[in-house]
Amino acid sequence: MEFEPKILGIACNWCTYTGADLAGTTRIQYPHNIRVARVMCSSRINPSFIFRAFELGADGVLVGGCHPGDCHYSTGNYYARRKLAVTKKILEFAGLEPERFRVEWISASEGIRYADIVKEFTEEIRALGPQTRFAVRRDIEA
Amino acid sequence: MKRIEARLKEEAKRLLENGEVEVVLAYGKGYDDRHPMPYAAKTVTDTERIVFNEYCTHNMARYLMDYPPGTRIAIAVKGCDSRAVVVLLQEEKIKREDLVILGIPAAGMRDAKTDQPIDASTTCDMPNPVLYDILLGDEVTVPGTSPYKILEELEGMDGKDRWAFWSGELSRCIRCYACRNACPMCYCDPCFVDQAEPRWADKSPSLESNLMFHLTRFYHLAGRCIDCGECSRACPMNIPLHLFHKKVAKECEAMFDQAAGMSVDDKPAMVDFRVEDSDEILL
Amino acid sequence: MLRKIGFERTSELVSALMEKGEVFAPVANSAGVNFQKIQEPGDVTLDFYNTLQSPKSVFFPQTDDMVRYRLTHEGTEAEEVPLDFEPRIVLGVRPCDVRSFEVMDRLFSGGGIVDPYWENRRKSTTIIGYAFDKVDPADFYSTFGIGAADPTGSDIFMVKGESAFLLKGITEKGEEVLGSIDLIEDASAKDKEYFEERLAGASLLETRTLATEGTAEKLEAVFENPYWVGAAAPCLNCGVCTFVCPTCHCFDIQDETLFGKGVRRRIWDSCMFTDFTLHTSGHNPRTKKSQRLRQRINHKFSYYVTNFDVISCVGCGRCIRSCPVHIDIVAVVEGAMALP
Repeated sequence: MEFEPKILGIACNWCTYTGADLAGTTRIQYPHNIRVARVMCSSRINPSFIFRAFELGADGVLVGGCHPGDCHYSTGNYYARRKLAVTKKILEFAGLEPERFRVEWISASEGIRYADIVKEFTEEIRALGPQTRFAVRRDIEA
Repeated sequence: MKRIEARLKEEAKRLLENGEVEVVLAYGKGYDDRHPMPYAAKTVTDTERIVFNEYCTHNMARYLMDYPPGTRIAIAVKGCDSRAVVVLLQEEKIKREDLVILGIPAAGMRDAKTDQPIDASTTCDMPNPVLYDILLGDEVTVPGTSPYKILEELEGMDGKDRWAFWSGELSRCIRCYACRNACPMCYCDPCFVDQAEPRWADKSPSLESNLMFHLTRFYHLAGRCIDCGECSRACPMNIPLHLFHKKVAKECEAMFDQAAGMSVDDKPAMVDFRVEDSDEILL
Repeated sequence: MLRKIGFERTSELVSALMEKGEVFAPVANSAGVNFQKIQEPGDVTLDFYNTLQSPKSVFFPQTDDMVRYRLTHEGTEAEEVPLDFEPRIVLGVRPCDVRSFEVMDRLFSGGGIVDPYWENRRKSTTIIGYAFDKVDPADFYSTFGIGAADPTGSDIFMVKGESAFLLKGITEKGEEVLGSIDLIEDASAKDKEYFEERLAGASLLETRTLATEGTAEKLEAVFENPYWVGAAAPCLNCGVCTFVCPTCHCFDIQDETLFGKGVRRRIWDSCMFTDFTLHTSGHNPRTKKSQRLRQRINHKFSYYVTNFDVISCVGCGRCIRSCPVHIDIVAVVEGAMALP
């Protein structure tokens, strides 16, 4: 059976999530491997979410927020940018394949771009194969 | 060092005698010369037990949070210890007016476990306190080694090899939390790892739970860790945690143009931002 | 019978022992020397003073799986993890650590509710004790009448000679095991003399001692004394002392579930942890570290004495050597005993 990546998406309500909705309503097709969790703002994201996602067996994590300068709460994504940058550096230094974690700024009108990014990311993760370093308990399936 | 010890005792005595402080955080006699202990002197007689030698590596800033807010405390600090005090001031956990900072320019410190000299590969590169009220000795100069030079080997490795290294090291962790408890910046009550809801990490020392604990802690100290190295010295399993903390500190300094604990007027990097921060840092 | 094997043949001895059961022995790695289940005979080292962590994990491991379960729509399926009857041999246990097993026996298998995990493992294990040939200043096991070359409690007792290890069967179990290993030779008369001399001369290897008369009552009496605040001032409240200690035995039982499958396991806990006595209501009777340090000392030197007639400490010195702030338990107890 071909490997189907499990990708966690975390999208901010005002921009990325709305953009994803737009992709949906305009019937743009993109791979189903991503499961999206909605947060009100990208700054809500606790970097431990990313670590935990990999621990629980995620093959990839895609975070989406508003473009810097356009945050619904003015400054949330500026904080998020710093936090998520540190998260990426930690994954890299630990040898945990930082390419499995991606951050994109996707606005509410960028439905096509959302779909394109998801397509691209899913194929990248498919090529990388299952994430087995952190996900030591991958054998436990629901 | 003997001179510093004498000055330390002198100042401690004076400050307690005239009631300027309620407690002096310094070092005291342990079971032998190589094992001094963190010591809290509360009376003039207590100050007789104060010592200072090359094995006084403990970061006394760790004990500042043990006292109720408003306690007037004198604290003996070396280079990186003083930076820890600065971070606690930045985070408003203590007030500047409640502290008398006794700065100790420290050179020639040694690790009590191994009797090896401590240099920038296991601690920060600043032997002189960055903040103090009274300096107890002359400032020292040490040969300029970068505190990040020691990372070169790990940085040069392939991701796979780095993973082999860290998973090997962190699988030895027995979750004693000596690292967390030795750190002046780990003052959260409750700590995330002690929470049952949400359950961030299981209590048993499996590799994945250990990773959740350590990776999260490395993140929680980003922009706050002042590289004293006490975490690694406290670890009974000799896990080189300080290397990871150094790497995070190095990256934060490069990305945000700010080192932890240098100036009381700085905001810690992770609760600050600049509009000009580059998206490049996310790559 | 006294038998011997040259130092260079240690791994052969270990191989032979591995044929009789699982072998736990000291292995050196970057953490120091610690007891591990042996996979490769060559990994064993007998060149150490004492291990960093105690051998209690042979009988009382840090994680001990008890029940495995699955949560399904029809209900929960659970099965107990079968008790461990595998024969085991633990090699290289210092006399103070051998005594610690007996101290823990009183709690785990002496009357009342018996801990089957501890008891089964104890019954199926052959202990090869190992004489000290020098003293570390942190140790104080002489306090408890434990000799540096004390064979009490061991099934086989081993002494390091000039070029060979000398092994003597102490119990029937031990003699049987020793007798069945062909590759080790019988010792000479000279060796026998040396062995006896070492056992007798061990009184020259005395550690410092702690006065333990009346600790149970005295510690109760000074419970409210502010002494504990000062004693606990340097303490970090980590769990290092409890984890390296051969007689600390507090544990927690946790269900670790993921995606509907999980395991109920016993794991080491520590009275030093802030959440050790945290109630579900949120109340915590021991919030201050002075209370927690006092608890540890009282448990070992007072309550255990009241309950089991023995101090729950064997003077191995590990807590002192591993404590990040160099707290000396001897000094703490002496300080409490000296209070008016």
